[in-house]
Amino acid sequence: MNAPAASALPARREGLWSKALHKFSRDRAGLISLVIVLLYTIVALGVWAGLWATEWADVTGTKWMPVSSEYWFGTNLIGQDIFQRTLYSTRTAFEVGLVVAVLATAVGALLGAVAGFFSGSWIDEIALWLMGVLDSIPFYLFVAAIAFALQDNPYAMHVAMISTFWTTVARLVRGEVIKLKSLEYVEAAHAIGVPEITIIFRHILPNTFHILLVQGTITFVAAIKSEVILSFLGLGVKDGMSWGLMIAESTLEVMAGFFNNFLAASVFLFVLVMAFNMFSDALQDALDPKKV
Amino acid sequence: METLQYILRKLLTGIPLLLGVTFISFLLMVYFGPDKTYELLGKSATPEQIEEVRHQLGYDRPFIARYGQYLKELATMDFGHSDSTGEPVSGLLSRTIPISLALITPGFVLGNLIAVLLALVAAYHRSSWVDRFIMGFSVVGMSISFLIAIIGFQILLSSSYGLNMFPVRGWNMSTVGNYLSYVTVPTLATVFVSLGYNTRFYRAVIVEEMTRDHVRTARAFGIPPARIFYKNILKNSMIPIITRVIFSIPLVVISGSLLIESYFGIPGVGKVTFDAITTGDQPVLKAVVGLTAVLFVLAQLLTDILYRAVDPRVTLK
Amino acid sequence: MNPDQAPLLRVRDLVVEFSTEVGVARAIDGISFDIYPNETVGLVGESGCGKTVTGLSILGLIPSPPGKIVRGSIELMGKDLTAIPEKELRDIRGGDISMIFQEPMTALNPVFTIGNQMVDVLTQHRNLTRKQAHSVAIEMLDKVGIPAPGQRILEYPHQLSGGMRQRVMIAMALSCGPKLLVADEPTTALDVTTQAQVLEQIRLLQDEFQMAVILVTHDLGVVAETCDRGIVMYCGSIVESAGIEDLFNHPCHPYTEGLLQSIPRLREKPVDRLPIIPGRVPDLFHLPSGCRFADRCSKVTDRCRQEAPVLQQLTGSTAVSCFNPVA
Repeated sequence: MNAPAASALPARREGLWSKALHKFSRDRAGLISLVIVLLYTIVALGVWAGLWATEWADVTGTKWMPVSSEYWFGTNLIGQDIFQRTLYSTRTAFEVGLVVAVLATAVGALLGAVAGFFSGSWIDEIALWLMGVLDSIPFYLFVAAIAFALQDNPYAMHVAMISTFWTTVARLVRGEVIKLKSLEYVEAAHAIGVPEITIIFRHILPNTFHILLVQGTITFVAAIKSEVILSFLGLGVKDGMSWGLMIAESTLEVMAGFFNNFLAASVFLFVLVMAFNMFSDALQDALDPKKV
Repeated sequence: METLQYILRKLLTGIPLLLGVTFISFLLMVYFGPDKTYELLGKSATPEQIEEVRHQLGYDRPFIARYGQYLKELATMDFGHSDSTGEPVSGLLSRTIPISLALITPGFVLGNLIAVLLALVAAYHRSSWVDRFIMGFSVVGMSISFLIAIIGFQILLSSSYGLNMFPVRGWNMSTVGNYLSYVTVPTLATVFVSLGYNTRFYRAVIVEEMTRDHVRTARAFGIPPARIFYKNILKNSMIPIITRVIFSIPLVVISGSLLIESYFGIPGVGKVTFDAITTGDQPVLKAVVGLTAVLFVLAQLLTDILYRAVDPRVTLK
Repeated sequence: MNPDQAPLLRVRDLVVEFSTEVGVARAIDGISFDIYPNETVGLVGESGCGKTVTGLSILGLIPSPPGKIVRGSIELMGKDLTAIPEKELRDIRGGDISMIFQEPMTALNPVFTIGNQMVDVLTQHRNLTRKQAHSVAIEMLDKVGIPAPGQRILEYPHQLSGGMRQRVMIAMALSCGPKLLVADEPTTALDVTTQAQVLEQIRLLQDEFQMAVILVTHDLGVVAETCDRGIVMYCGSIVESAGIEDLFNHPCHPYTEGLLQSIPRLREKPVDRLPIIPGRVPDLFHLPSGCRFADRCSKVTDRCRQEAPVLQQLTGSTAVSCFNPVA
């Protein structure tokens, strides 16, 4: 490769983002999914601001009331409003998804970049070993272990997810950094004596941002799905409401032929995860320079 | 001889992983884990009694001694007795692991096999409606929670609100007919949720191999598609496929069976693990974590050996 | 070139397009040329000019989708290759027409021995048992100058150097006695010494096997050394076609002239800077309506911007598509 290619690199990156925006704006599935995700976000923000779903924990009706104008999704076994509980759980899902996605991506980016930058050295060896170790501990056991260690702290689940989900991000960033650091502009920065820490943060990490964005959405989905199963098993959300807890509640009701609770939680979960998966795909397509 | 040496060397390199997994789990679950003293003694125990029990449980020994004890247990495969049932842990595991294997194997095999087939069809008809249909179906599959798939299939197939063809829960392997009737619903749920992820992964692998230069070379020399498919595409896809299949085994055995077994009340190792988690049964948890780590090391060894069988570039070094 | 002979390959008005999400790119826009038996023709141009796509379309190897031959014909000894079924085309690939590629490192299947891959080709096109094919393959490896071919044939591609692999590719390409060899940048990835050896090998074998060679390259030096004739492509069209002497001594298209001037060489008078062709290649989605080279041409007129020139025979062996050819 020659000198012009190296100086052309930042320009190409800029092109990547404007091109991605252009491509994404033409992707109908991507746009629809983005709208759905935004709708869910509004619901979650409204719950957080106390605009709706304020009576999710109150017994306002009687057992298993059918769908009505007052109780849109009916009531559950003890007469609570299923609709309000479903909305409230959206907030829980977003809270878990966002916290885990942001922190796991940040930790992964940082450790991955450091491991990649020092690839071949003992720092890299240790990072790889740690990733291998964390990937080899069964997930549910790890959640339980952290819950033990944190003595049932409500954030034990978050910590456990962050501790396991960052490894995927780190491996990807590490690979990308190893690729990037051999490029001329990084070598040039090295040659003129830019400190390593500056090279990593100023020159290398920004160029892995597209990976982080896509991995962030994937981690978000994984966190929401795990939260539901963990809460169902009694290892996740303890005080509060979650689709997983609603499904746990509904297993008794389902056997008696009352499906509202189960359907409300499942459909809300499915639509959100589906929309996020499609959004993630569209993002990936838009950011893939190989696809014209 | 050379192979044996290689295997031994490879097993030695697995030791840091084993130490890491056991160390972190021990630290979290046992050292910082629940204190059993009061559970055993009740609230009105004398200081002497407390001292006595703490000594019995080993709480008064230094960390390194207690961790060393755990490693010794792992090396000898003797984890003592379960806190909650009093049954020897080794007996508990050797009784429950076969049940879990019988439960998850059909779903695991079918989930991968069908996915490879779908991925081939999708890759072969790349960008056509067939491809779009299969990949769209995959995204739907990926978006359905395992939990919902389990309950959904149970309602559809095992309840009076659906076909009511299979038992609602439980386990029975006394005859082939019984086995099939109990294993079907969990298997369907497993296949259904794993298909989406697997198909996407395998399609990406196969498409990548289809666009390799040597595939173009083979086409330029008039090699017929069937042979290109086998020699250039499938043979070269084996490494990522093998890696995915082997490395998912240790996770599927514990994590995959945990939800199904605790939901359907199937007495396998997943249920045992779940019960141990909820009751804080440390001997069982230590055994499960240790064995999973060992499984990972073995999986690594197995993949390395298989790589060599499928790729001449890999040597035993 | 012997004009009395019937051409081996006759390409007429070939148009190849690639459809992408951004639009349709016309990679080849109505090119026509003939290849005669036994001659070596250099297909020259910058990357992206359509020379590789031309080579691939002769064998029907345009990746489809997204690529497609929209119009035109490619006749091999009177048979139109764009109109025959895939199965018949397979018999021609590696049989009557062979192709070798730029990347010797990745062009062979890494998980089979080179012998296995050569035997596959041989048994596909010639009526041989695998055992017979194996000895033919050894013979061929010997011919392309691979030492100890009996052992080499049992090795995997990763055990051979780049030059060796390209020789294996040549051996494979010639093993079924092709009438035409399409060599797509066969030496670009090799170091200079190996380059010369491989080119020499191709030339020697060309005489022995009596075949025509299309050498696709961006390297004018290689063309000057090895070809009888050169076809210069720019932006999907042929701008000039001429015998090798005429092409280098009297380039008629301003683009050809510019290309020749930009080659570094020992000159009688030293120059301060190597002349370059100003401007950039237009992008294939937004081709100008007139001559594609107009924006970069020193002799551009209004006519050039309105009307696209067509390839026309000038004196001697030269054909050029320009309204104001270099005298």
